[in-house]
This record gives sequence, structure tokens and C-alpha cells, in this order.
Amino acid sequence: MALQAKFAEAETPFAVERALVGAHPAIVKLRALIERVAPTEVTVLITGESGTGKEVVAQAIHRLSPRSLQPFVPVNCAAIPHDLLESEMFGHERGAFTGAAGSRHGLLATADRGTIFLDEIGEMPTGLQVKLLRVLEDGVVRPVGADRATRVNVRVIAASNVDLGTAVAKGAFREDLFYRLQVVPIVIAPLRERRSDIPLLTEHFLERIRDRTPGREIAISREAMVALWSYDWPGNVRELENMVERLAILCEGSIIDTSILPENLVAGARPATAPIAVKLSDGAVNLNDLVRELEGRLINDALKQAGGNKQAAARLLGLKRTTFSAKLRRCGVIAPASLDDREEDSTSKELYG
Amino acid sequence: MDEAIRAAQIMVVDDDQDTVAILAHHLRREGFVPIEANSGAQCLKLVHENEVDVILLDLMMPEMDGFEVVKALRDNPETAEIPIIMITARDDLDARAEGMRLGVSDFLAKPVFRRQLAGRVRAQLEVVETARNATAAMDRLEAVKNRSQH
Repeated sequence: MALQAKFAEAETPFAVERALVGAHPAIVKLRALIERVAPTEVTVLITGESGTGKEVVAQAIHRLSPRSLQPFVPVNCAAIPHDLLESEMFGHERGAFTGAAGSRHGLLATADRGTIFLDEIGEMPTGLQVKLLRVLEDGVVRPVGADRATRVNVRVIAASNVDLGTAVAKGAFREDLFYRLQVVPIVIAPLRERRSDIPLLTEHFLERIRDRTPGREIAISREAMVALWSYDWPGNVRELENMVERLAILCEGSIIDTSILPENLVAGARPATAPIAVKLSDGAVNLNDLVRELEGRLINDALKQAGGNKQAAARLLGLKRTTFSAKLRRCGVIAPASLDDREEDSTSKELYG
Repeated sequence: MDEAIRAAQIMVVDDDQDTVAILAHHLRREGFVPIEANSGAQCLKLVHENEVDVILLDLMMPEMDGFEVVKALRDNPETAEIPIIMITARDDLDARAEGMRLGVSDFLAKPVFRRQLAGRVRAQLEVVETARNATAAMDRLEAVKNRSQH
């Protein structure tokens, strides 16, 4: 008893703020929802792009639930071959199929009294979907080749990186199971939609590195942070986390700056002072483009210096107000349509293949 | 959800009337309803008179610049959660850093590409919807709990 009490003391209470970092309203509300749904027994369906933290959410629900001292069993339905998934989940009897030398408990039985997390549930074969529905409705599991079903007490949390509603409409996912799963739907926003959390997350990952390696001083320059903030993060929080870890390894001093950032990340955050240096010997140049770029920069600088006052900015450049306005328009707020098709947002390419 | 996105009201704030007109034109073509404002003060006034879903804000404005507008919007609980997309010069790092510091939702670099304009506005509408869905899920949870108690 005394030992148990000691363990309980030593265990830091689970803080959902540490697991799901962010101040964006979508994340604040997500944390509130997790705290509300955790103590209940309801089935949860989590939807979010890859890397948004679906398993983190599932674990948070488990750890904040009365089942927290029981097992949390994650199953990636896409990673297990379809013909093996059934025996993995439900277990099998000896001789149930070729190679089944002994009987084996399934993952649902392992998760008894705890939580099973079914990731990429959309990949589950329809035959198995029926069996899962029985688990949810009756709490019984029948191992492959068994005559009798056994009772299990598991909480099911499912996740998908695609909208399962669409899969239902296409007939790829059972409607009855869909409605049974999404008693409480949880959607995690992609990182590019809550860009304001990027500095907070970056700082959180840096702090973790500092905690892990005492004495290590590591920070990030303002320019590098702007570059991280400007990037679209198709791999979401996981990609940002990997990037911060990678930058910390590459960083020889104590400040991560733009010099060690990958090219596609730094492209959106070049300093405005980069000179326009062109020699004809470099090959053909487009004078119109260069003039336009130079004009754009000077107009921007003048506007900045004049605090946004166009009359004053025009004076700084020795232009009439009308000429200045015409140039401002020519530099344009909207890019010419001809460029639209060529534009592949430079910040949206994935860093890892 | 598509219907809701099409009817979304997007405020465009810039002291240059032509710029506002051009952006409004492109937003209209994408099915949004633009609300035009020519100054920070007008933005702060109109935001209380309309249901604004997203604000497209130019930073370079005389009198009250974009950053002051961001601060004023963020300081008021009624407008604090409206997504703000700032429009900056392509290479204006200082502006972007300041916007990041003040917690703007996203940015568009000039010249703005049409697809990007629509895409970034939609992304902000989607995240608002995500937050709204979380609240709806909480209500749904209460209903489930009440049902199981009776």
C-alpha cells in the first residue's frame, strides 16, 4: 500500500496542455472537448491529417479517463495486412488457419478494461467492420476458429486521416459502424490553419531538447522563426517536431539561424536587403522583371519609411502622387493571371518524401 | 459546409481603393461576400456592424497602421477570434515577424496569386468551423450523457 502511494506521488499528473500545445481557439476548444469526453465511456472518432496528433489525442483521452491504469493498445489498421488483421484484433484458436500452431489472444482482449485505438480505421476490410460493430454493440469478441465468443470491456477510439463520411457515401465504409463510432467526433486542424501556434510549438520542442540535454543552450533567430511560421507544414506538427530536432542537431552554436534551414523553408523569408546583382554574362536577363522587382522594393521601402502615407512615399522617390499610385498598381496586389498556373506555392512542398 | 463557405463575409482593409476593389472582385468570383474598408478605423467600425468571418488586412496604412488594427481587434473579446490574414510585400521580413508576434492568423505576399487568396481564406474558414464543431461535440456529449442517465 505504502509503495503504491509512493508511486502515485511520483507520477506527474497528465497535463493535456503539455501533450497538445497551442493557444489557437481550435486547439483550446479541442483540449476542453478532450477533458469532457475522457471521463465518459463514449466512442470517439478522431479525424485529422497525417501528423496532426491523432494518437496524442487518443492517449490524452485514455490517460484522463478512469481506465488510465489499464492498457492503451494502438492498432494501425493500414499497417497490418488485411488477412492478418482479424486474427491480430480478435485472436485465434489453435489450428484456425495454416500456421496457427497455438491459440492466441487478440489485441481487443489485450485492451480489456482499457482502451483500443484503431488508427486509419478507413482501411479496415468491410468483413471486419461487421465484427467490430458487434464488439461495440454487445461487447463480445469471437477469436478466429473459436466456437464461443468472450466478453471484453474496451473503450474504442478510432481515427482516420480522411473524412469517413465521404467513404460512407462511396460505399467504402459501413454506415452503421460510422454512426456508432462517431458518437463524439473530434477534428484536429492542420498546422497551416493555426499558424499562430508555430512559434509556441517550436519553443516547446526546443525546451524539450534543453531538458533532455542539460547545459545545452539552444534558441532560434527571429528570421528562422519567421521562416518556420511562413511554411505550410504538410506533415503538420510531426513534421515541425522533426524539423526542430534536425535543426538542433545541425546547429553548431546556440542559435538556429536561416543558414541551416532547408532551401524550401527559407525561400519565403529572405531578407529584403538581398541585392539585385545581375551580370549579362550570367545569361539572358529580363530587364522588365528586374525593373519591376526593384520598383516594388523601393516602393515598399518608401511606404515603410513614410508610415504608409502615399503622398510622402511618392516624395521620397521623387515621383508625383499619381505616378506613384500607377506604379503601385503595376506592382500589383494580384499577380497576373498568366503567373497563376505557374505558381506552386513554394512553401507547400513536403520536406520529406 | 460548402454553402457556408460560399456565403462567408470577408472584410478587405486597405487605404488604396483600387486595391480593395481588386481584392473584392476576386473574392466575389470565389463566391465570398466582400466587405470593403478603406482605413483601420473603418475596419474597426464595420467589424461590429457585420458578421465578419475573415479579415484581409494591408499593413501599410496611414494614421492607423495594420498592426494597430490587429492589436485593437485582438484586445476586444468580440473580435479577438476573427482570423486575420495580413497582406505584406513578398520579402518584408520585419512585417511578417511583427504579424507573427501579434498572432495574425496567416499572411499573403504581394503580388497575391488568385488560388492562394481563395485557399488561405478557405483555410481560415475551415479552422473556425473546426473550433465550432468542437463546441457542437461538447453539446452532443452532454445530450448523450443526459440520455444515458434517464
